[in-house]
Parts: sequence; structure tokens; C-alpha cells
Amino acid sequence: MSLSTLGTDVPQVNARSKVLGRAQYAGDIQLAGMLHGKVLRSPYPHARIVSIDTAAALALPGVKAVLTGADGPRTLWGVHHKERRILAEGKVRFAGEEVAAVAAVTEEIARDALDLIQVEYEELPAILTPEEALDADAPGVHEGRNNVSHDIQFERGNADAGFAAAHLVHEATYTTHAQYPGYMEPMASVATMDADGRLQVWTSTQSAFLARARLAAVLEMPVSQIRVIQATTGGGFGGKMIEDANNLIAGLLAVKTGKPVRLVNNRLEDFLACCSSLPERITLKLGMDKDGIIVAKDVRIIAECGAYSGLSAEVMHVSAMRSDNMHRLQNVRSHATLVYTNNPPHGAFRGFGGTQMLFALNSHIDTMARMLGVDVIEVHKRNAIGAGETSVHGWKVGSTGLKECIDQCTEAIGWAGKRSSTAQTGSASHKRRGVGMGAAMHVSGNRTIGNWDGSSVMLKINEDGRVVVHSGEADAGQGAMTMLAQVVAHGLDIPLAHVHVAIPDTDVSPWCIGALASRVTIAGGNAAIVAAGLARDKLFALAAETLKATVDQLQLAAGVVSVRGDASRKFTLAELARMHIWRHGGEGIQVVGSWDSKTVMHDDKVYGNIAPAYSFAAQAVEVEVDTETGQVTVVNSFVSDDCGKAFNPQAVHGQSNGAAAQAIGWTLYEHMQLEGGRLMNGNFADYTMPTADALPMLQSGIVESSDPNGPHGAKGASETAILPGAPAIANAVFDAVGVRITDLPITPEKVLAALRLQKQAEKQVGVAHA
Amino acid sequence: MRDFDFLEPASVQEASRMLADLGDECRVMAGGTALMLALRQRMLNPTHIVSLARLDRLRGIAFDAHKGLRIGALSRHCDVAASPVVQQHYPMLASMAARVANPQVRNQGTLGGNLCYGDPATDPPGCLMALGAQVVLANAHGERVLSIEEFLVDYYVTAIEPDEVVVEIRVPVPAPDALGSYVRFLRTAAEHRPLVNVSLLARRNGAQCQSACLVVGASVPVSRRVRRAEEFLAGKTVTLEVAQEVADMIAADIEPLSDSRGSADYRRDMVRVVARRTITGLFGLASNEGAT
Repeated sequence: MSLSTLGTDVPQVNARSKVLGRAQYAGDIQLAGMLHGKVLRSPYPHARIVSIDTAAALALPGVKAVLTGADGPRTLWGVHHKERRILAEGKVRFAGEEVAAVAAVTEEIARDALDLIQVEYEELPAILTPEEALDADAPGVHEGRNNVSHDIQFERGNADAGFAAAHLVHEATYTTHAQYPGYMEPMASVATMDADGRLQVWTSTQSAFLARARLAAVLEMPVSQIRVIQATTGGGFGGKMIEDANNLIAGLLAVKTGKPVRLVNNRLEDFLACCSSLPERITLKLGMDKDGIIVAKDVRIIAECGAYSGLSAEVMHVSAMRSDNMHRLQNVRSHATLVYTNNPPHGAFRGFGGTQMLFALNSHIDTMARMLGVDVIEVHKRNAIGAGETSVHGWKVGSTGLKECIDQCTEAIGWAGKRSSTAQTGSASHKRRGVGMGAAMHVSGNRTIGNWDGSSVMLKINEDGRVVVHSGEADAGQGAMTMLAQVVAHGLDIPLAHVHVAIPDTDVSPWCIGALASRVTIAGGNAAIVAAGLARDKLFALAAETLKATVDQLQLAAGVVSVRGDASRKFTLAELARMHIWRHGGEGIQVVGSWDSKTVMHDDKVYGNIAPAYSFAAQAVEVEVDTETGQVTVVNSFVSDDCGKAFNPQAVHGQSNGAAAQAIGWTLYEHMQLEGGRLMNGNFADYTMPTADALPMLQSGIVESSDPNGPHGAKGASETAILPGAPAIANAVFDAVGVRITDLPITPEKVLAALRLQKQAEKQVGVAHA
Repeated sequence: MRDFDFLEPASVQEASRMLADLGDECRVMAGGTALMLALRQRMLNPTHIVSLARLDRLRGIAFDAHKGLRIGALSRHCDVAASPVVQQHYPMLASMAARVANPQVRNQGTLGGNLCYGDPATDPPGCLMALGAQVVLANAHGERVLSIEEFLVDYYVTAIEPDEVVVEIRVPVPAPDALGSYVRFLRTAAEHRPLVNVSLLARRNGAQCQSACLVVGASVPVSRRVRRAEEFLAGKTVTLEVAQEVADMIAADIEPLSDSRGSADYRRDMVRVVARRTITGLFGLASNEGAT
């Protein structure tokens, strides 16, 4: 009997250590002589630093270092544009920018020292909106450059001809707001100089290797002089990639003091330091034929990256073109412009540009389906790209369960009886109910990160027949370790508990990109299959030689290699592992399995199959709108995720429901309030993420489309499910009360104002008819 | 949070003397839910914290058919919510206490601490005002009793003297024909503090309102009775139209707060809606919908 757990519900392999409080997060690490870091941040969105006097802070007993931009290093960091300093020098460009860093013997002394640093600022006029930034006379946020950080334009087919031939053309503008990732564990690092003078950093990150590369570049050290260990990470959601400076500052303080330094953001600091999601203004124009087939699409995006662009250009790129690939399109045109302002930086966030565009697109399709009198579900299905097809941008869709997702989620909430039903009054006369849905696609992997989208897994079989797995792919809570353990245990047919997945450690783990672009299951999972196969080859070779059999005659089941048809001729994995060492020419069993996707970099016209597989999702919701207060309550939500193959359905449901919660939060509850460029609500009392009592009983379903490139058919499952929530809610609000909110978040004030306008318009119509 | 000395007086007199001696340098701790946030953010940096935890005079909940209800100031919101005598004689109060903030705050925060903080965006003050509650304050020299209206002075300001502690809250026996309702309105379901609350205690005879005590809170700097509305209601047969008229009156008579949690206009609109729903709910004119 197979011991495989693939396809069954298993607890996360690291769940026990977390719930028992034993998991070691970066902030838990205590080293002898450890100092505590604190960061002084700019109170102004734009100011010249006239002078900094650190004497009083340095004189405070217990303070070991006070660093400013003048202390260097001066290497700039960033992704597209190297434009940001670890500590500002000369100028600050957003409220919250790092100006000075302190290391002291206690956190309280470090914080006292911040108050003693005298910074003289000369406040400068701040650019706080994209409109101001794009004004021809506006000064550059970055000297010597205008405020356009990035610009993308492309056209395929002939959009104008498509519109000319369309039966219906509709244009509207949508705006989306920034969301804070809201992970439970704020950014945290402990950095130290090891006995050999190398910098060692434990940090909360989605990518140990990208963190090491950035530390090396910015601290001006050889990569090999740095070791990054990913401590247990309490959530990332895109925020813990390479856009925040926590581990850079910890590393700098350790280098300068020669001591271990712990730097843990408190929640307010984390709100100020972390990139929130990219706000976009999207003008979308679609042309449809009378059946709802999209015949032309025109997209214009203005995205605001804040003071530093980070990954925002990549995020905007996704907004500009990814959604084109979920439909059979011929004529598409897109123009997206990324703009600097003096607001806090934006960047990567779960969904990576998909949430913004899919809010616009799904809202738009709902509107046009109503104009055409065609069921919106039909419109989605008629346009949906099929498995085996190549999209307008050259994406080869190996599998898609989008139609099944749409059917599953809409049936689950009783769509047919509820859609546009005038009988849909809510629990009281002033309440109205409605249903809405959204559809989405996402990548599983992405070659454009750097023309490699592979992964390696190193696997050792110990003398007891159990396995240690090393991978540099990150588990930020999404379940990477469990996935790797399941795939390896399946490959060697051993109990899941016999596989230990080691934490990513750049000195030990194979080089990996990390947890981004929904790539860990497809890339890491495939590498794990390769590694398990290589290990099995070693076991079989030794067993064949010792048992006087051919490899073809051997079988591996339940941790035992035996000769088919002769059960007496067998060895356990433990026996083989020991035999593999204790012999002439022996060695421990250790293998490295590598896998790279058969994808291409897109060309300069953004054409090319960039991902080995594409995930799909759909969500249907039912809302109740209180017409007197404007409040929207999601009373029912079902999200369906096409993840190819669910290795661990319980984990997929957890991810899907978490994504739905985050989407509902973005749509209805969460709003970073800036006043004059300063964040006013950097705490969880005023930045209101949904708690359990703010959510309906979340439901989710799985569709398994089995991708030919996926490990056992699997694709990414953690990210796609966040994409359809916002438009599903907006569409349901329209279904309930007939008002279309195009400007997120959907606040009670906006709904109420729209209802009043609607009432006025009805009155005027009534007067006209009288 | 800066270091401080943690003092644990064993009597109200001792606590009062400590407060008198230490003055502005010290802060009183009951449940600590608000205080801990302020300490951690260094908004407050006291050298001393005076804990009330050992003061048995501040504990317990008891009901007397003549004197009414006595709630020790250290009673937590969850204690008030779960108290059989509160549930039996003051269902409006028990129901309010069961909905304060969130479970963590209800299990840690105290009624006395809540009142002393003077935060308008909370539940107990308005509800207690409608019930005609009194606050008993004590110092080393004795006790004094203030009505809750006297105790709550303004936005984050109360009548407590620096050497005083709140020892208990008293609530009179409600009239036999009195019926009460406390309605809180959260702007969104993810918020834990009310944007608006309306408390109504009415003596009623069927559809007729004999007298009413009507309090608006959370949307105004300090919870306050709306006398014009109370007088208008007295003796009226309550219909949907009357309820709407009263709601309009209340909305007109308040001066709403305006801040990042809600504009004055939206607050005024919601006070109107919530007041009408509270009245119609209490008089059985419609299902008690909406804000809970």
C-alpha cells in the first residue's frame, strides 16, 4: 500500500512548532552581546536634510552606534532603478524614509536615542498625486529625471479596427487603492558577524538568495561573505521580497558595530517601512460583438509607485497585459505609465498587479453583459481561452479549469435563483441582496525574473532511511515545506514524518529564487520529483548489485526496495543508506535534483510564453446592501481555485479562504489614509483588517485541471484566489441596488452617495414623464 | 515602553494617597487595555503605575430590589455581560456589555476603566446614561457620587480628581414599565468601535411613550441626552412618522465629530437612521433591523 499523502488533507509540517510557540522567528533569536536596532524615519514627505547631529544620541549610555547616510555605504538599491539609499543622505522623499539607525544595548535605549538625534529639515513642496507628478512643470522626485518611472506600450492586432467592427463599445475608469500586507509577523532580522568575519543574517523573507544578493550589493561585500538564513516567516503576501530595508539596516549595524544586532519593526514602523500594493487608475475600453465576444480591448493605466519604484514596474506590467491571456483576443492595445510621487512606496503584493486590472475587467464585463442582455457567466465562458491554445501574447495555456471554476462557485451560492432577482430583498425592507462573480488567471512561475525559472532540491537519505530536504524556496506560511515533504515522501514512498525540510540557508541550500510569482509548487515541486528520482536511482543501483538483480526487477514501496516476485530479496531504505556509505568507494546518499521551465523571456514587444503553467480562479458572492446606511455585507462567498492538482486540499482551502478574506478586506474595509503624504492610520485599530466577525463563513472549492508541466499536474494555488473577490463584490452590489462603484474601496459613504444620486435621477425621470 | 514602578495599594485610601503624592507622574491601571497601548507607543511615560487589582472594594456585581444595581469598577465587560442579575433586571446593559469592542477587550477591560478613559467611541457611557447610572468616586477622605452626566465632562475629560478612583457604578431600579434598547453602529463590520450609538430607555404603555431617556454617543465628543427629543416623545403614541420626526430632531440637535473614522455629515445621517431604528425597534414598529 502506498504511503503517499498526495491529494489528502495533511497538517502543515511546521504547524505543530508554530502553535506550540517553538518555531523560531527572527525576532526570537537571542545571541550573546546582542544589540537592538531602531530606525529614525523622516516626518516629511519631501525635505532637504540640512544637518544631522548625533552627538547627544551617541553620548547616551548604552548606545553603541548611530549611523546616518554620511556613514555610507552609498551604493543605491532598487530593482529597475537603483535609486534608494539604506539611509537617506541630503534629501528625504517620503514620510517614513530611513534617516538614521541606532544600535544600543536595549530596545528602550535605542528608542530613547532616536529622540536625541537632531535632524534639521528644510521642508520642500511634495508631489502627492500622479496628476501633480505628470504636470510638465513638476520638479522631479529624483533629480535629473522626470516623474515617469516606467512606461509600457504595446498593440497587437488592430484595436481601432476591432472597435469599429464592434456591436457594443464601453469605456470606464476604475481606481484601486493601496493595501498593506498585514502579515502577523512584522519585518524582523538579526544580523551578526560570525567567527570568520562573515555577515550572517536571519531574516523574515520570501527569498533568502535575493536577500543575500541585495545585501552583498548594497553593503559592498562579496556574496560569499554573507550567509542569509530564512527564519520562520509569519506571512509575506509579497511584502517580504526585496523592497524593504529591514535586513539591510540590521546588516549595516552589525557590520559597523561588529556585534549581533536585532531589528524588529513594531507595527507602526512596519506600516511605514513596508511597500503597500500599487494604486492604479485604469481606463478600460472593450468592444464586444452582440454575443459578448470581446473584439477589441484598450487599456490605459496610470500607476503610482510613490517615492521609490521597487517592483512596481513589474506589477504594472502584469496589470497592463496579463488579463489579456485569459481570453481569446486578437486586438489589444495597452499603455501603462508608472509615476513617482512623494508618497510612501508601493510595490509587490499577493496578486502582483492582477487584483487591480481584474477589478476593472470583471466590473466592465458585468456592465457590458447587462447592456447586451447576455448572462455574464456566458460572456466569461465564450471568451475563455481553452487548454492547448496560445494567447494573444504567446502564452501557451496547457491547462485551464476556468469554466469549471465559474460553474462551481456560481452553483454553490445559488446564482440562478438570485441573479438580478427583484424578489431579492434582504432581511428587512431597506436591505437588498444581489450576487456577483469575477474570473481570474495568474501565472505559475515567471521566466522574466531573470531568464531562469528553475529550482533545485538537495536530498539526503540518512542512515535511518529518513530524508532531509534542502531547498532555497521559501515557506512564508503558504505551505512550501509541506509541499516539498509530500512530493519527496511520495517519490520514495516513505511516511511524511520521515521527511524533514530544512530552512533555507544560503550556505547550505541550493540556489533558488524563492516564494514569488506562484512558482514554488511548480518549480520546487518539479525539482523535488527529480531529486527523489535521482535518490531512487542510487538506491536501486546499490540494491540491484547486492541482490543480484537488474534495476528493472526492483520495486520501491513503503520504504523497502525489493525484487518483484521475490519478497525475501529486499532491503529497507535504512539498510541501503548505510550500505551506501560503508563500502569501498562509498558515500552517503545525497543528490541534487534540478528543473527548469521550458519557457521563454518575452521579447521587447512583450510576446512569449513566460510561465510553465497558468492558474485560474473564479469567485461568486452574495451581498446585502443596507440602502439607508450604505453598508455592504458579504453574506456568502465561494471561491474556486484551479490549482491543477491539490496535493493537500486542506492547505489549498486555507489559502483560498485566506485570499478571499484579504480580497474582502481590500474591497470593503482596508484603507491606508494619507494626509499630506503621511500615514494617519498605521495601526490595527484604525487600519481595519477583517477579523472573523467581519466575514461570512468562507467557502472554497478546488478544480483540478492537471497541467502537463506541473508536478503531478499541480500549479500554484496561493495567489490566484485573491484576484476575483473585489469585482465579485462590486458586481453583487450593482446586482443588489443598481449602483456601480468603480473606485475602491467600496465604503458605506460611496454607496450611500451613489444611491442618493440614483434616487435624484429617478425623480427627475419621474418629473419628465409627468 | 519605559520602565516604571508598579504599585499595588491594598486599600482605596492607600491608592488615593499614592495618587496624591505622585501626581502627574503616575497612571492608574485597571484592565490596562487603553493604558498599555499608550505606554507602548510612549504617548504616556509615567514613572509609576498604580494598580487597582488588590482593591476588593472595586469588585463584585450585586442587585438590591430597593437600591438597584452595584457594579464594582473593576468588573470586566464580560463579567457584566454574564451577570445573571444584570441579565435579569437590565437586559439592555447586559446586551451592551456583550458587544463592547471585541472579545479580547471584553475579557480584559473594566467598566470603571472604560468610563475614566473618556473615549467617546465606546459603548458603556451612553447606555449607562440612559439607565440613569451614577458613578461613585473615592479618595482618602471619603466618597462622592456623581451622575454619569456630571462625571463625563467632554472629549476624553471626566470629573475625576487626581487623587480619586472610581469605586463603583450604581444603576437605579428601572420602572416596571420601562423598556430599554442600546444600538451600536459600526461603519464597517471590521471596526470594533462604534461610529454611532443610541441608547433609549422608555416607559411605555403599549404604543404610547410615557417618558423617555434618549442618549446619543460615539458621534459626539461626549455621550449626551437629547432633551428636545425626550420631551417630544413624552406622552406620544409612537408611530413610524413620530419615530422619523424624533430621529430628525436628534440629527439636528447634535454636533457630530468629524475625523478619519467618519465625516460629520455621514455621522449625522447615521445618527438619524440609528435613532429611528432604535425607536421603532423598541416600540415594535418594525423588526429591530440593521445596526446591532
